[in-house]
Amino acid sequence: MQNFQQNLAKLEAADTQVLGVSMDSMFSNNAWAEKIGVTFPLLSDWGGDVTKEYGLYNPQYKAARRINYLIDKEGKVVEMQIDSEAIDPTKIVTLCERRKSGGK
Amino acid sequence: MRRGLIVPVFGLALGTIFLGGLASVNRLGAQEKKEAMPEPTVKVGDMAPDFTLRDTHGKQVSLHDFRGKKNVALAFYIFAFTGG
Repeated sequence: MQNFQQNLAKLEAADTQVLGVSMDSMFSNNAWAEKIGVTFPLLSDWGGDVTKEYGLYNPQYKAARRINYLIDKEGKVVEMQIDSEAIDPTKIVTLCERRKSGGK
Repeated sequence: MRRGLIVPVFGLALGTIFLGGLASVNRLGAQEKKEAMPEPTVKVGDMAPDFTLRDTHGKQVSLHDFRGKKNVALAFYIFAFTGG
């Protein structure tokens, strides 16, 4: 969260919208967003339908697996980072900047 | 006479412990399988399934809102208040 927030200006400059998703309620997401000063949308997948559709539902924790997707303007997945790799979004930021300079 | 009884009883007890141990090893194996991480069904090269979810102000946000306009960095978090 903080890591995407820190890179938000760069991502926005590279035509990229950041969206966070968790299976928490709107209310706890709101408290979380306020606590750490997140300004991008933090979406509540209450019930886990979207998490399950993406194959990320972990029944043991009743929560999602930690993952970042980069989806291009046509709606296609162009990059993914899983688990501990997902903590640092630098790879996604670099990719967005490269796509922008490449005219995509 | 007594000693003749103790040996088989002791043997039976050991056997029970051994079998019990085997059963619990089996149970551990099953648990490990259950704890395996889910395998993402959406991968690089796939079209990202569309969704509509509510943000922290109750506003609906859809993936298709950004189609043709912006890339989307979509981050799934385990729980609110977790790091990363």
